[in-house]
Amino acid sequence: MSITLDQVSKHYGGIPVVNDVSLEIGDGELFVLLGPSGSGKSTLLRAVAGLTGVDHGSIALHGRDVTRVAARKRGVGLVFQNYALFRHMTVADNIEFALRVRRMRARARRERRQELLRLVALEGMDDRLPMQLSGGQQQRVAVARALAHKPEVLLLDEPFGALDAKIREELRRTIRQVQRELRITTVLVTHDQEEAFTMADRIGIMNLGRLLEIGAPHELYSRPATRFVATFLGAANLFLARRTADGIRMGAATVAAAEPATDAREHEVVAVVRPEEIAVAETPAGLGGRFIASGVVDEMVFSGAVERLRVRLANGAEAPLLATTDAAAVPCVEVTRTQHEQRAFELHPGQSVALGVRRVHVLPTPLSSFTACDASATAAAALAREPLLAVLAGRMKTRVAVRPEPRLGAADAAPSAAAPFVGATVISCAPHAAQRTEWLLRHGAAEVLVLPAHAAVPQRVLIHWMDEAVRRATLAVSASVLRHLPAEAMYLGVLPEETRATRRPGLRTLLSARAEARELHGLELRTELVFGEVAPELARRLAEAPAQMLIVGVTDLTRFAERFGPLIDAGRWPVLIVYRGDASSGAPAP
Amino acid sequence: MSLRAPSVLPGFGLTFGFTSFFLSALVLLPLAALVVAAGSMHWSDFLAVILSRRALGSYRLSFGASALAATINVVFGFMLAWTLTRYEFPGRKVIDALIDLPFALPTAVSGIALTTVFAQHGWIGRYLEPLGIRVAYTWLGVTLALTLISMPFAVRTLQPALLEVQRDLEDAAETLGAGRWYAFRRIILPTVLPALLTGFTLAFARAVGEYGSVIFIAGNLPLKTEITPLLIVIHLEQFDYRGAAALGVVMLAMSFAVLFAINLLQSWGRRRQVRAAH
Repeated sequence: MSITLDQVSKHYGGIPVVNDVSLEIGDGELFVLLGPSGSGKSTLLRAVAGLTGVDHGSIALHGRDVTRVAARKRGVGLVFQNYALFRHMTVADNIEFALRVRRMRARARRERRQELLRLVALEGMDDRLPMQLSGGQQQRVAVARALAHKPEVLLLDEPFGALDAKIREELRRTIRQVQRELRITTVLVTHDQEEAFTMADRIGIMNLGRLLEIGAPHELYSRPATRFVATFLGAANLFLARRTADGIRMGAATVAAAEPATDAREHEVVAVVRPEEIAVAETPAGLGGRFIASGVVDEMVFSGAVERLRVRLANGAEAPLLATTDAAAVPCVEVTRTQHEQRAFELHPGQSVALGVRRVHVLPTPLSSFTACDASATAAAALAREPLLAVLAGRMKTRVAVRPEPRLGAADAAPSAAAPFVGATVISCAPHAAQRTEWLLRHGAAEVLVLPAHAAVPQRVLIHWMDEAVRRATLAVSASVLRHLPAEAMYLGVLPEETRATRRPGLRTLLSARAEARELHGLELRTELVFGEVAPELARRLAEAPAQMLIVGVTDLTRFAERFGPLIDAGRWPVLIVYRGDASSGAPAP
Repeated sequence: MSLRAPSVLPGFGLTFGFTSFFLSALVLLPLAALVVAAGSMHWSDFLAVILSRRALGSYRLSFGASALAATINVVFGFMLAWTLTRYEFPGRKVIDALIDLPFALPTAVSGIALTTVFAQHGWIGRYLEPLGIRVAYTWLGVTLALTLISMPFAVRTLQPALLEVQRDLEDAAETLGAGRWYAFRRIILPTVLPALLTGFTLAFARAVGEYGSVIFIAGNLPLKTEITPLLIVIHLEQFDYRGAAALGVVMLAMSFAVLFAINLLQSWGRRRQVRAAH
């Protein structure tokens, strides 16, 4: 491995800018770090270069731990967005800078310089000053300069940002060529997904300081695991659908999923449909059975090779639900059509059409949507506007439904409607919150989030599960939450005091939990093992600092209120209960 | 329709006229008057005044101390400007405002304040005395006063130049293997050199013309701590206007020579850079 990052973290003012990033980049690979601005990708690159120290974790280059090694001794070449050429020096002096520092002889320097200038196609430009060159040429000089000392790793920080489209394309090709020719391990940072697609062997997508997903470009595009990657990498229509034994039910229609199901129970899922995977026809019959909804063409934009459509979904109970935060917005799907499709069926705005899906990808995320639940509709609506819930739903691009439940928590009452509780159910931290939580869990809710009023966005999320059987589900839910929060994840294992002498089994659990979180969910977990009682230990850790959140996985609801009552009713931190009972968990307990 | 060809630079006539009028009225005319006043002297009288031992001693102190003060300011002004542009710390704004204080204070006040602190029994002077260092009433005091009053000029010219040296340049140098000192010498210094020279020039010019603050701390011993401006005032007090004018002309000539030399140096530096480009 050329570059190995292990749980690298960097905080600025208490906020993690780079949050527990682990990554391995192979020899000669061109790895692209892609993310929106402020996602921590540049900070991570600077950490690899040694220009920024890290607070936690380690960085190794070719097996050598360089976490505490100065930038000038790391043997990396760095190219900046604004070129950062030395303006008072000629092109030749710029390129030879690293060689002069190393006291190389003039003759050898000259030879190396000629070689590099040929590599970046700038022969004969030796005596120019940077300001006499175009932007593209300046960046070529910067690349040559960064390669002069034969670094083992080349780092490119948004190198095409300041260039116009034509030059950008040309320079991309040059850099790709140089990279292949030298077989140098390269990390490129960019916010431009097209650039990532054209350059990368593998892409790592960052958001809120976390490395969400890593994969080959086509893999990430066709099988994203997270909402963020689905929508950031190309356009995507997100639907709230139900996974059933027959396939994916979107509104009235049921379609086959692109991948087989991993979870047997029927539940709400987030379905991703790319704009090019939506078929448009005059009637449902013309779609060959893949019909999902009818709609009206709202907007048509011609953009060269493809035509972009916005189709407003027709209202109706059987229409599929779009996963969107804004309930008031007109539900629209995005569709792109090739020239060929346009010729086959010409459209005009205002036309009624039938929509069908060609390929549906289901996100593995267990948190599909939120349902704010309270005794009255007004209280539930107020709860739906809670800042933390709004932040979460906004970042998850999902919906917060409102469900009044007049007899919420009453021991002898059943839910007011037959409809199951979908997504995560959110309740306020009113008195008897623990009792209400237990009631919801007993009546079919799988995840319950207890939200204190005006809860801050957590900086640390404490994770715990009562039983190994619920570990997988708890980790999946935690990963889903943490992807949308710039918070640290920490698993707290609590072992009974008596086992202090034989702590081995606990440690093994800890390590396998960490590996599972990383492999299945891309979630980096800190782990800690303590001895004592569960609830008091959790309460103690939660009280350590402000802005924390607790996620607990449970399988058994006996003595629930007694055990978790104090934690839930304290009202000082959001608590998310993940409940996976036995097979009959959907039915109310006697 | 106007018959005059429209100028490429609209309003050039007006602004140029205004500029030349202002320069003439405020700078050239008074200076010419000075030269004329001195010119009415007999040649041998003129020489006798400007080459007297007392005058020669005062030149040495005036120009020497000013050059020293400007040099100190270039070095310490650089550090000050560096601190202010590179670091974010509590009280940065206050320190930034303090820099300008010597601008605003009547220079006599600065002189009195410095004397209070550095006199034999002053706050600092009393600790320097046992070490054999005397500041007040020596050339050291003169230099100190000149340094104080010319400090803002150096800092204020360096600040924008340092802001322009991008952090990226240092980062680039570092990843290329350069140590801090090497990067400073090869990258930062060459980039801010023009500003350094300008800062030196302005600080020097200000120091040479200073009078108010120096006379309090200098002690004004002829041949030792007497600056040229003071000598001019002494001539004036004896109603020897011509003698004062003669000394004025010498100061004028020397200042002009120094400033001109620095200007030449700067344009030579620029030319060399452009030549390297071809």
